[in-house]
Amino acid sequence: MINPLIQREFFGILRSNRALLVLLCLTVAFSLAVLMRWPTDAAVDLSGSQSLEVFRVFGYGLLAAVLFLVPAFPATSVINEKNGGTLALLLNSPLSAFSIYFGKATGVLLFSILVLISSLPASAACYAMGGIDLVKDLGLLYLILTLLILQYVTVGMLVSSYVQSADAGVRITYSIVFAISFLSLVPAAFFPGAQGILATVTQVLKSLSPIPAVMEIMGHTGVGSAGLRTASTTSGFIGATSLSCFVFAAVTLSRLNYRIFDTARSKGVITNDRGLATRMSRRLLYIVDPQRRKSGIPWYLNPVMVKEFRCRRFGRFQWLLRLIAICAVTSVVVTFAAATSVTSWGVDAIGGLMVILQVLLIVILTPSLASGLISGERDGSGWELLRLTPLSAFKIIRGKILSVVWTLAIVLLATLPGYLIMIFIQPNTWLQVNYVLICLTWTAVEALAVSAAVGSLFRTTAMSTTITFVTVITLFLAPILVWLGRDAPFGFTTVEYALLATPVGAALNVIGAPGFEIYDLLPEAWWVAGVISSLMFVVLGVQVWRLTRAD
Amino acid sequence: MSPSETVVEILGLTKRYGEFTALDSLSLQVCRGQILGFIGPNGAGKTTTIRILVGLLKPTSGTAKIAGSDCLRDARKIKRLVGYMPDDFGSYNNMRVSEYLDFFGAAYGIPRRKRNLRIAECLEITDASYMSDLFVDALSRGMQQRVAIARTLIHDPPVMILDEPANGLDPQARIDMRVMLLRLAEMGKTLIVTSHILPELARICDTVAMITKGKLRAFGTIEDIMRDVQQRRTFEVLLLGEDQVDRVAKIITQWLVERPGAVDVQASDVSPSKTESVVRFRTSLNDRTVAPLLTRLVNEGETIVQFREVPTDLEDAFLSVANAGDQLSNGLDASASAVGDDA
Repeated sequence: MINPLIQREFFGILRSNRALLVLLCLTVAFSLAVLMRWPTDAAVDLSGSQSLEVFRVFGYGLLAAVLFLVPAFPATSVINEKNGGTLALLLNSPLSAFSIYFGKATGVLLFSILVLISSLPASAACYAMGGIDLVKDLGLLYLILTLLILQYVTVGMLVSSYVQSADAGVRITYSIVFAISFLSLVPAAFFPGAQGILATVTQVLKSLSPIPAVMEIMGHTGVGSAGLRTASTTSGFIGATSLSCFVFAAVTLSRLNYRIFDTARSKGVITNDRGLATRMSRRLLYIVDPQRRKSGIPWYLNPVMVKEFRCRRFGRFQWLLRLIAICAVTSVVVTFAAATSVTSWGVDAIGGLMVILQVLLIVILTPSLASGLISGERDGSGWELLRLTPLSAFKIIRGKILSVVWTLAIVLLATLPGYLIMIFIQPNTWLQVNYVLICLTWTAVEALAVSAAVGSLFRTTAMSTTITFVTVITLFLAPILVWLGRDAPFGFTTVEYALLATPVGAALNVIGAPGFEIYDLLPEAWWVAGVISSLMFVVLGVQVWRLTRAD
Repeated sequence: MSPSETVVEILGLTKRYGEFTALDSLSLQVCRGQILGFIGPNGAGKTTTIRILVGLLKPTSGTAKIAGSDCLRDARKIKRLVGYMPDDFGSYNNMRVSEYLDFFGAAYGIPRRKRNLRIAECLEITDASYMSDLFVDALSRGMQQRVAIARTLIHDPPVMILDEPANGLDPQARIDMRVMLLRLAEMGKTLIVTSHILPELARICDTVAMITKGKLRAFGTIEDIMRDVQQRRTFEVLLLGEDQVDRVAKIITQWLVERPGAVDVQASDVSPSKTESVVRFRTSLNDRTVAPLLTRLVNEGETIVQFREVPTDLEDAFLSVANAGDQLSNGLDASASAVGDDA
């Protein structure tokens, strides 16, 4: 007999409109990618370069699809069941913890595998074009992506078993996925050709990310590669991912019992009521202690903004201060490395790396802060309570937007020391840095506007967080994907137009990052960002105004 | 505002969702300082009425006014006049009770110094001062209800609308809630309270409005409604064994039909229960007329353990009024469809 959970999870996802939409869009996108480069003349491409061009776009597209879409499904899997009360019923049934885990994981896995299957017609066409090996190229790509899906499902379910809300599950899972995929590449990018223990560490970290492994299949040199000899990361990735899947699954399984509900209510201890030693140590540790007794909201502050700060677990002031410290130290270290020639990278390349890190921070941070601004209220009955107060729609929006603006502004300002050192080293970069900062500000504004507007269209926080993450990531990183195919299949004009859609491209262009310096993106990119942001703020305004009216 | 002044005035309030009528020409008034119990089964239209009153919902027709202000046109004014406690608490994560109340106080524009005093006062009224430092999402249901009332009180509204305040509370918490509501009424607040726990309402309400299928079935003081309902009393005949039940039910039905003036006897008036060995019947006959029935039953050879009148409470009154109203509606619907068919 089939595990009833597999049936429920798999068919439950399949029956949803979003699943149909995802599969349909992916099939169309993959097919179009192949069709775009399908030979139109009778000439035979003996070198196989044409099919490799298509295969690259197709392969990176598939990787992006898995990276952006798959984590959303397992991230809410356990927590939705827990909050809905059905996990208690499942644990009370004769089903073992393993059956429950296996059923839920398989249900999500089957759907994710469907995403891969939807790409098979396109990959078959790609193979038919010739020049691609069935086992070494296609087979290996699908093996890596299947393992990646398995890893995302297990890590998503692990996160989901710890968090208290579905949107927190989505947020943390995406953050982990991005950390594994992108942050793990940073040391390799910084220390290309490193020797000794440093080389081992960078190689191990690089093996965690699927990007170098896919790049190798696509015939690109990996991140941070130096010289002719480059060590393969594919076997390392397969080993590390398999091991991590096993560990994540084992930990989640150990949590699937009655202890998952066994959490005591907070006693609400206030720092002000504790001993002097505790008070002093907390003051040193937190600087801004979240457990101190707060005075009332002053008249000059928007109450909604203060509420947003106080409600957050992440994004409260003590966390922001830590983040600022990390950003400041990282940016200074990066620039100092360039100045003292620790790395072979020039100031431009280091600047490009800083921009990418900042963009990643904005892309991860903004949707997690802004997507639930409205849906978070509607999910509970908080929105109804807000509507009962005399607060106008404008004041509500202003308070909510300000709570994210301050956070993003502080994070962006935290990297200023790095740029200042850059200007100190090369005073002629003054204007360049100013333009970069304007581009990054636009990135933050656009990410905020899109996240808040898209998030406000949904009733549940988990849904709004997922869709917002996918939208923001697509908007900011899809042009970079197009840029990756800059020589083929995309031409110069196509890439330039794609890069205009996001201020990230403009920032990399201004800082002179390798591969971006040839385009002319300013000031058009600012105009595009301005128009998109304005449009999104209008959508948000109309939606909030509509929601504050009597039904 | 004088004590007898009408504070809440609802006139011909109707709300339709397509073909479905959630509220059908509802009209009622509540005077200052009164506690109105709003009774009805799930889906009767109580929450719809309340949501219109607090400006969250537009009526299809009719008007609702609070202290002379129209609930739709003067929505901003209504927000200051009414304190509404929805069925759902609406907690915010990571917020302490004092911060939670502080936010709502600030949202109502209460200056900080005055707000701090007001928070302390509201927590005192609701006996929740000890919860000040606790996190709102970690409170029990009973504690949440107290904080919700404190939140409703924060801007000192003259009218308070409480949706199911006793829902999910244990007996002690229900008693505490009752005391708290009476305290609020003593403070001069006008209260509209919905509840499924009718004995709770019976103890605190001055006026009761009974609503089913969007229609007002009864409205008045509890005494008035009881008087109307008690025109048809319920009697209970406890028997020795279940084999007697059918026979006794038949005798009672026959006896009721034979009474002069008892022409309107319906099948539902006599309800036999074999599991309880009981036959209950409803009648508008007085004691003098009903007494010979016992003699008849004994003469028929039935052993009667107990023959008594069942005391009527608000629950019975509600069931009686609701059933009568529903039967009337069904009758009207049936005749309307018959007319439609004929046409």
